[in-house]
Amino acid sequence: METRSGVSEEEEQMLREVSGLGHDITESLNVEMLRENANLNGESFSGKIGKFGSEYAKWYARYYIVPEKLMTAVDHNDLYVHDLDQYAVGSTNCIFIPFDKLLARGFSTGSGSVRTPQSISTAMALVAIIFQCQQNSQYGGVSGSKLDHDLAPYIAKSFAKHFHKGVLYFDENLPLEEHNITLGSLTLCNSHPRSYSFAVQETKIECLQAAESLIHNLNTMSSRAGGQIPFTSINYGTCTSLEGQMIIDSLLSATMNGLGSGETPVFPIQIFKCKRGVNQSPEDPNYDLFLKAVECSTKRLYPNFANLDAPFNLQYYDPTDPNTEFATMGCRTRVLADRHGRNRLSGKGNLSFNTINLVKLGIKHGIVNGRTVPHEVDFQRDLYHFLDIALNGLLHRYKIQARQPAKASDFMMREGVWEGGELLDSDESVEECLKHGSLSIGFIGLAECMKAMYGKHHAESEEVYATALELISSMRRYCDMKSEEHDLNITLMATPAEGLSGKFTKKDREVFGSIPGVTDREYYTNSFHVPVYYNLPAARKISLEAPFHELCNAGAISYIELDGNVRSNQTAFLKIVQYALSQNISYFSINHPIDRCGSCHYEGIIGDTCPICGTKETDVPMYRLRRVTGYLTGDYQTRFNAAKQAEVRDRVKHR
Amino acid sequence: MNICGYYPESINEGDDLRAVIFLSGCRHRCSGCFNPATWNFNYGEPFTEQRQQEIITEMANNQLLGGMTLAGGDPFFSADEAADFIDNVRAAIPNFSVWIYTGYIYEDLIVSVDSAEYRLLMKCQVVIDGPFIESLKNTSLPYRGSSNQRIIDIQSSIRYNDAVELTT
Repeated sequence: METRSGVSEEEEQMLREVSGLGHDITESLNVEMLRENANLNGESFSGKIGKFGSEYAKWYARYYIVPEKLMTAVDHNDLYVHDLDQYAVGSTNCIFIPFDKLLARGFSTGSGSVRTPQSISTAMALVAIIFQCQQNSQYGGVSGSKLDHDLAPYIAKSFAKHFHKGVLYFDENLPLEEHNITLGSLTLCNSHPRSYSFAVQETKIECLQAAESLIHNLNTMSSRAGGQIPFTSINYGTCTSLEGQMIIDSLLSATMNGLGSGETPVFPIQIFKCKRGVNQSPEDPNYDLFLKAVECSTKRLYPNFANLDAPFNLQYYDPTDPNTEFATMGCRTRVLADRHGRNRLSGKGNLSFNTINLVKLGIKHGIVNGRTVPHEVDFQRDLYHFLDIALNGLLHRYKIQARQPAKASDFMMREGVWEGGELLDSDESVEECLKHGSLSIGFIGLAECMKAMYGKHHAESEEVYATALELISSMRRYCDMKSEEHDLNITLMATPAEGLSGKFTKKDREVFGSIPGVTDREYYTNSFHVPVYYNLPAARKISLEAPFHELCNAGAISYIELDGNVRSNQTAFLKIVQYALSQNISYFSINHPIDRCGSCHYEGIIGDTCPICGTKETDVPMYRLRRVTGYLTGDYQTRFNAAKQAEVRDRVKHR
Repeated sequence: MNICGYYPESINEGDDLRAVIFLSGCRHRCSGCFNPATWNFNYGEPFTEQRQQEIITEMANNQLLGGMTLAGGDPFFSADEAADFIDNVRAAIPNFSVWIYTGYIYEDLIVSVDSAEYRLLMKCQVVIDGPFIESLKNTSLPYRGSSNQRIIDIQSSIRYNDAVELTT
C-alpha cells in the first residue's frame, strides 16, 4: 500500500465503500447479500459479524491481492471467483476426512486430546467433533468418503463389550478364545446363545442411538458465523461386513426418523455409493440397504446416489481399498484423481475454483445480436482468453495457499487430516501437501449460451447438442493440457452456483437487456443442465446430461424433478435412479416436494390446507423444503435468494 | 371419444412411472369433483387415430414408463372405445400395465360378463374404484381422493371372486 499525504479522491471513494458496506450490514439493507448463502442467517448478530469479516476481506482482496486482469474480468461479469473473502488469507476449500486414521490413533483438538474410542457411540460422537474441528481449517465442505468402513471397527468393539456383559448376566462363562468374539462368529452364536443374542441386540440399539445423535449433532452445532452449521457430507453403502451393514442401516433409520419433532435433517448430506456386485441387484449383499436408501430418499430427499460403476470412476476402484471408491462432497466436488499419485479420496480436497460466464460469451458472439451467423472463431478466442485468466487466478491463489505455514490450518495439518500435514513443522509451508488437491475451472449457463449463439439450447437441437458437448470437451482438454504444463491437478467443474446464479444474470441484463431464453429469467441454468423450465421426459434429460459427467472431472450432478408424493411410489423412484446409473451419470439425485405443516408437523404434499389437521396456510406457515445446489435448506421461501426462489418456481415437474 | 388431458410421465396415478390419459365424459357428477368440466363428453380434443398413434409412439419410446393409467371423466362411460385403445396400445407395447379410474364400484362392473364395462375392466390390471365422496376426502392417501375408494388388483379379484385390494 502506498502511503500518501492527505486524502486523495481515490482514497475517499474507497473509504465510502468500506463505510457503505458496514451500513448495509448493520441495517440489513442488502437482502441479496445477506441471503447469498441459504444456510446462513445473515440477519442474525453472528451472521452480521461474519458478514463484516467476509465483506471487508473481499474488499481488501479486490484492491490489494487479486491480479488486476482477474478482477477486471470479475467486474465485467465474465468470471467469478468463488469465496473471494478467503482469497487473501490463503485458506482452502474442501476435504475428505480420514476418519479411520483419526479415530484409530486418537487426536488433539488443540485444547485437549482424545483417546481411541472403545464403542460405536463414542466413535460417532467423535465423528461430529472431528467435522467441527476440521471445518475451521477451511471454508467449504467437510466430507467422509466411506463412513461405514471407517466406523465398522467400533461396532466390533461395542459388540465385544456387550458380549462380556452378557456372559456375566447369563452365566454362560464357558472357555473361549478372545479373538472369536465377533458379530459374525457362528461358533459363538452356538456356544453362548444368550450372551450372543443379547450382545447383538444391545449393539443394534447402541448403533441406532449413536447414528441419531450424530445426525442431531450435525444439525445443531452452529459453529460457523450466522448460526451456520458446517457443510457436512457422509458417503456410505459399500461396506459388506455385518458391522458395516449395521452402520448403514442405522444411519438410514435415524435419517428416516428425523430430528426432534420428526423433521427432515438438513445435514449431513448423505450419499449412497452404488456399486454393481455390492448393492445393485437382489443377489448383492447390500441390496436391501440400497432399497432402504431409496425409501429414505423418498422420505427425506437424501441420500443422493454416487455411481462407482461409471467408467471414469471405476478406473480408480480397487475392491480391497475403500478409499479408492468414488465419493463426493455433497455439493458435487470430485477429487478422486491425482497426478501426484494419490488416486484416492481421504486426506485431500479441492483448493479453489473460478467460474466462467458462458452466457455473456454467447451474447457477444451469437445470433442474438441480429447477426445471421454466430462468430464461432471469436467465441473460441474469447473463451480461451477467459480460461487463461481464470487459470492464472487459480495459480496465483494457489501460491498464496501454498506458502501458508502449517499452523494456519492447525487441526488439518497437525492431525494429518490433509495427508502428510502431520509431518510438517508448524512454521513449515504446506505446499508439498496441497499439490495433491485440485484447482478447478467451472462454468455456468451452457443452455443460455447456446440459445444466444444459435437460437436453441442443447436439448432443443441435436446439432446444437453436439456443439455444446464439443465446447465442454474443449474446456476439459484445456484443463488437461494445463495440468501437464503446471504439474498440478487442474480440473473442470460443473459449477454449483447458488449465490452466483442470479448475480451474472442481473448484470448481463443491465447491459444487454432482457433477451428471451437468455437473460429474461432471474437466473442462469446451472452448469450443463437442461433448463429446469424445459419440458422433456425424465429418461431424455438423463441421457442428454450423462455425457457431460465424464467431462467434468471436478464434479457434476444431475437431477430429476418429481411432482407428487413419491413416498408412495418407490418403484418409480428406484427405476429412475438405476436408469441414471446405467447411463453413467456420476452423481444423481431426485428432487421432490416435502411440505411440513406448521401446526401438526405432518410431512408430505400440502396444498393450501393441511390434509391431516385442516389448518390453512393463511393461518399457520407451511414449511416447504426444497433442494438448492445439492444441499437442503430450511423453508425455501424465507432462506433462498430471489434468483433461486424463481428457479424453484420454474422447475418443470416430471409428475 | 375425447381426451381432456395427457401426462407423458406421472408418479401420482399408480405405482411406477406411468403415462396418464384423461378421457372426457362422466355421469357420476360427484359433489366436490376436482374438475367438473371433464363431465362433458365433448370437452377437450377428439381422440383421433392420429393422436392415439402419437401418444402410443411416445409411450413406446419412453423406456422408463411402467405402464399407463386411464382416468377421466370416467373411462367406463366410453368403455368400448377405451377397450379398443388399450388393444392398440398392447399391439405396440405388449405387457404394458394399465391402471384405470372409475366412479363405479368394482362389484357393479362385474355383474354382467357380456357388458362393455366388463370387457374394459378385464383388459386392465388395477382399478381404483368408487365415487369421490367429499366428506371422506383425504389427499394424503396414495392415488386416491377419498377414503372409500379402493385400489383393486383385478386379476386376483377374479380368481378369489372377491375384491382384492393392493396395499400401498
